[in-house]
Amino acid sequence: MDQAVRELSYAQAIQEAMAIALETDERVFLMGEDIGVYGGAFQVTGDLVERFGADRVIDTPISELGGAGVAVGAAVTGLRPIFEFQFSDFATLAMEQIVNQAAKMRYMLGGAVSVPVVMRFPAGSGTGAAAQHSQSLEAWLGHVPGLKVIQPATPHDVKGMLLAAVADPDPVMIFEHKLLYKTKGPVPEGYYTVPIGKAEIRREGRDLTIVATSIMVHKALEAARTLEAEGIDVEVVDLRTVRPMDKETVIESVKKTSRLLCVYEGVKTLGVGAEVSAMIAESEAFDFLDAPIVRLGGAETPVPYNPELEKATVPQVPDILAAARSLAAGSR
Amino acid sequence: MPVEVILPKVDMDMATGRISRWFVGEGAVVKKGDLLFEIETDKAAMEIDAPATGTIRNISGKEGIDIPVGEAVAWIYSEGEVSKPANEPAAKPAKAAAIAVEPAAAETVTAKPVAAAPSINAPSNGTRATPLARRLAAEAGLALDAIAGSGPRGRVMRKDVEAAIPAEAPATAKPAPIVSRSPASSQPRPAPQRAAGAAPLNFAWLRQGEGRPIVLIHGFGADLNSWRPMLAAGPVDAPLLALDLPGHGGSPRQTPIDLDAIAADVEATLAALDVGPALLVGHSFGGAVSATVAARGHADVRALALIAPAGLGPEINGAFLQGFVRAKSEASLMPWLRQLVADEQVLSKPFVNATLAQAADAELRTAQGEIADRFFADGTQTFDIRGLIAALRVPVRVIVGANDRIIPASQSLGLPGEVALHVFPATGHMPQVERREQVLKILLEMARA
Repeated sequence: MDQAVRELSYAQAIQEAMAIALETDERVFLMGEDIGVYGGAFQVTGDLVERFGADRVIDTPISELGGAGVAVGAAVTGLRPIFEFQFSDFATLAMEQIVNQAAKMRYMLGGAVSVPVVMRFPAGSGTGAAAQHSQSLEAWLGHVPGLKVIQPATPHDVKGMLLAAVADPDPVMIFEHKLLYKTKGPVPEGYYTVPIGKAEIRREGRDLTIVATSIMVHKALEAARTLEAEGIDVEVVDLRTVRPMDKETVIESVKKTSRLLCVYEGVKTLGVGAEVSAMIAESEAFDFLDAPIVRLGGAETPVPYNPELEKATVPQVPDILAAARSLAAGSR
Repeated sequence: MPVEVILPKVDMDMATGRISRWFVGEGAVVKKGDLLFEIETDKAAMEIDAPATGTIRNISGKEGIDIPVGEAVAWIYSEGEVSKPANEPAAKPAKAAAIAVEPAAAETVTAKPVAAAPSINAPSNGTRATPLARRLAAEAGLALDAIAGSGPRGRVMRKDVEAAIPAEAPATAKPAPIVSRSPASSQPRPAPQRAAGAAPLNFAWLRQGEGRPIVLIHGFGADLNSWRPMLAAGPVDAPLLALDLPGHGGSPRQTPIDLDAIAADVEATLAALDVGPALLVGHSFGGAVSATVAARGHADVRALALIAPAGLGPEINGAFLQGFVRAKSEASLMPWLRQLVADEQVLSKPFVNATLAQAADAELRTAQGEIADRFFADGTQTFDIRGLIAALRVPVRVIVGANDRIIPASQSLGLPGEVALHVFPATGHMPQVERREQVLKILLEMARA
């Protein structure tokens, strides 16, 4: 089916996906703090409350644990809630519902119920929101069997993956980088899905594989354009899903290039790139490695408020350039 | 700074080696990659190349005496460098060695070990090398120690191994790197019965070990080195003997009259080596040879493994045979090599270079052209081993790739019921390369049974 394609921002693409879900499936409803009249902390829900009414776009009290509990309970009864957190950092408040209830229920009840809840988490640094509002906690939730954890990097993907998440019978956690909300890209009209659990090769290359997540995909692509002029041909893999991870795409890419650089904003130690790196070391791609695997992740510190220090705690394009050059030369 | 030439570790468990002969003398001018000397251990011989370009000085490693691994045996001075007294370079060995060899070897120089640490991994325990470099070196039969690493802290990388291959390829094409004895000097005892008068074949013990030996016979156009990629797939505890067919590798360049003549050569070689009860493994044309050996009953074959064997049906890819024998360049060879496999990724650079080195040997390829004309006349397999297999009383397994483009996999159907058939999907004519772990596992199981 041919669908018209327009330029939309990442935030508009999310809103469009939620509008389509609300229109086409009466079980779908939105809930979250300030998502109604105010339009959401990052204006993602916008005017949906006017279009679909306060019964389906529900403002909740300031209790993430309470809201998440309602969402999980509603999902168990057969509804399809999409629950927005104002900041992904507040996932910590709702961990009981996410980790102990949503992720476990299908297992513990022998498959008698599933929990088709979608939770949206505005994540990452770069907005001057300081240590409690700037974290990247996808690895926390990625550690929990029973959850699906995704990090769409483009407007096209966030719309398709959100619709895939709504259709998914299990809890799906979407980490949306706050700096991506205003980025634009082509988005087809109408309903489509982008599969959860499938990485995307954003740029093909021969010399080096960069596996990046979320906003780091764009930084890696920018670095790749500079490196191309230096004769270093970089392949950029957009991981897109943290759990379940698309091992095959990454393994095949590393077998081709023999070099792996993982770039992710979450804290480097025990982060998503740590898992990618360990997965490759265990895989058949090990025998294809011609240099040590390198990780670029967030600094081992709470994210600072000072904007210059804030930038310094997460990988930036010059960091990727330096790491890629060193890796192409054999590294350390 | 002169470059140190050390006695490299070329074999697992090797503590000392002896230089059997020097190819250059004091004051000789050498280029990097030129042959310097041949070393011999209790079970292997190998030619060693110059690690640098320059003039050979201070040859301290005498022929015929045991020398600890890692010891300096000579120095190479580049142009303009002043030759110092023999003990002078040794005063700063670590720095000099870093230019030519990997740091671990430099350490062993200063440590002067009497016994090498037991190695579980390859000849190059302690060598800094990337996993890719290790794999490519293993496939090419190269000792990592002999390769100068260009990576950080002397790490051997892919490009270093690839650069080392052209220099060593002639050595692998004639005698194998791990050669026990040349055919001429092996003095075979007369083989029993009809095998009398047969010529002994070139061979190499690719692995030492305990238990029932595995005897490997390669296919048309290959040589005994073609088994090395499979051996890199995992540990092998059984003794492993590989033979070169007549007109192949280091064996006499002759065109045997029929399969029985080749079988007689194989039997003579096994008898000369005192190989007792064995598992016989043959690939393609070597499979037909193996089945013939097993059926004749002169050699003590206890089990037979036939990998993509010839002789089960009439069709064979005649265009491949002709094109392969004629190809002289990488450009004309590669399209044919791709026919051999389902996934051309497995055609490693060492494999391609080793094949090219053979293609450069006009006499070898002429002999092979005659063999092809005799055994595969007009693109037809002129021999049939089905009857031989049906009469065998030992366990037989046939291993084929479902996507074999040289000999159709369907030819392996219709064998007697007690013959086991392993069919690997998405695999071409060389399951021992494309499915090396699985094939090696099958062979080891058979050897232990």
